Amino acid sequence: MNTNELFQIIVSHTREVLPELQDHPIQPEDRLADLGANSVDRAEIIMMTMDTLSLRIPSVELFGVNNIGELAEVLYAKLQTS
Amino acid sequence: MPNYKPADLFMTGLGVTSSIGQGVENFTAALFEGRQNFAVMQRPGRQHDSSFIGAEISDLSCPERIPAKLWRSASFAGQVAMVTLQEAWEDAKLDLADPKRIGLVIGGSNVQQRNWIELYERYRDKVSFVPPSYGVSFLDSDLCGLCTEQFGIQGFAYTAGGASASGQVAVIQAIQAVRSGQVDICIAMGALQDLSYWECQALRSLGAMGTDRYVHDPAMACRPFDQGRDGFIYGENCGVIVIERAESAEARQATRYAKVSGWAMGMDANRNPNPSYEGETRVIRQALEHAGLSAGDIDYVNPHGTGSPAGDDVELRALRDCGLAHAHVNATKSLIGHGLSAAGTVELIATVLQMRASRLHPTRNLIDPIDPSFRWVQEKEICYGINHAISLSMGFGGMNTAICLQKI
Repeated sequence: MNTNELFQIIVSHTREVLPELQDHPIQPEDRLADLGANSVDRAEIIMMTMDTLSLRIPSVELFGVNNIGELAEVLYAKLQTS
Repeated sequence: MPNYKPADLFMTGLGVTSSIGQGVENFTAALFEGRQNFAVMQRPGRQHDSSFIGAEISDLSCPERIPAKLWRSASFAGQVAMVTLQEAWEDAKLDLADPKRIGLVIGGSNVQQRNWIELYERYRDKVSFVPPSYGVSFLDSDLCGLCTEQFGIQGFAYTAGGASASGQVAVIQAIQAVRSGQVDICIAMGALQDLSYWECQALRSLGAMGTDRYVHDPAMACRPFDQGRDGFIYGENCGVIVIERAESAEARQATRYAKVSGWAMGMDANRNPNPSYEGETRVIRQALEHAGLSAGDIDYVNPHGTGSPAGDDVELRALRDCGLAHAHVNATKSLIGHGLSAAGTVELIATVLQMRASRLHPTRNLIDPIDPSFRWVQEKEICYGINHAISLSMGFGGMNTAICLQKI
């Protein structure tokens, strides 16, 4: 798996939680909040992604992530060390 | 047309979702045809080395107005709540009302159990991945959240648990909210009680839910007031009733379906599931007195009538001793099963639909009534004018409610 594949996993869970984004192009620079995800939606998308990756990390470790691309990079790095 | 007092309360919007039809129109046709949809239940989370019989909703269609995001994140009980409220909302033209003057009471507690069993089973071995949204959705009040967000309700909303009387408890709370002036319009919902196999198993072990006796012919299982009954048969359903005064309804040209003429709620001071003759007679008499009626004025009784051996016996004795043996009686649960939290609301809707149609729906499987001296509506519907009706609900924990309706 590379960061792009991980990014696609996040995108697919984002579209699951926010079905209205089905045909909306999502870029690494996009922020989940700007795409319409509220705090519950964001927590849900991140948890679904960690479940898919079988990655157990405290959500506090994702603090400071600014957009979906950065989220993919941080999760990718965690995956390498887990 | 009789003159009404300004304080009189009316039903002005109806919504219903059931195993025999989604929407008032389909439900009405199904009632008079005596349709049923009983089977060994198929919905995931309903069976576990078991063959519980019940009446499940076959196809739930999502109205366009409900966004896909809300629909996806809602439990089945939540989806059915939104769909059913949508119908009553449009029926009562509530888009024209001030949302700050609209309240919502959702009758029921622990209504989403089947969803949680599925969730527990999926995440049992990976608890750290439990969906964060469960932190919101496990509360029954999430149904209030879903419905108030979707419809913009801003008056108040809460859930009211009253076991199998919850549906009537919600209507009584809605009545009180309008009477007190807290809101101008109050929506009462009997929520769909989404049982899992855990509750089915325990209810059966208690002797309340029917056995496997009719498993090879599930259509025969649900038989309120019949000698061959052996417990209630569960049914998925949900009802919504809008309550308000005439003046408020007229401002939106909303239809008044019936006047709510009397109501009563009383407890047996008994935590257990057994029925109480004293408790039932007390609420029947109080509701009649409240409505200014004598028993002889009642044309039709929509009973609780679950098919539980003790419950049906006690109810008929209470009805007889309250002077209601002359009235026509059928059993809505014989067609749709026991909706538990939903039952009280859905059965009031069934009552008002029969009142307006001057027809009484058949009672399925009432071949050999435990008390043949009542005026039963058995295998065929009958045409009959109803001016006054009473509907009863009883719940575990010694809860009794009764509501009287008057034809407009």
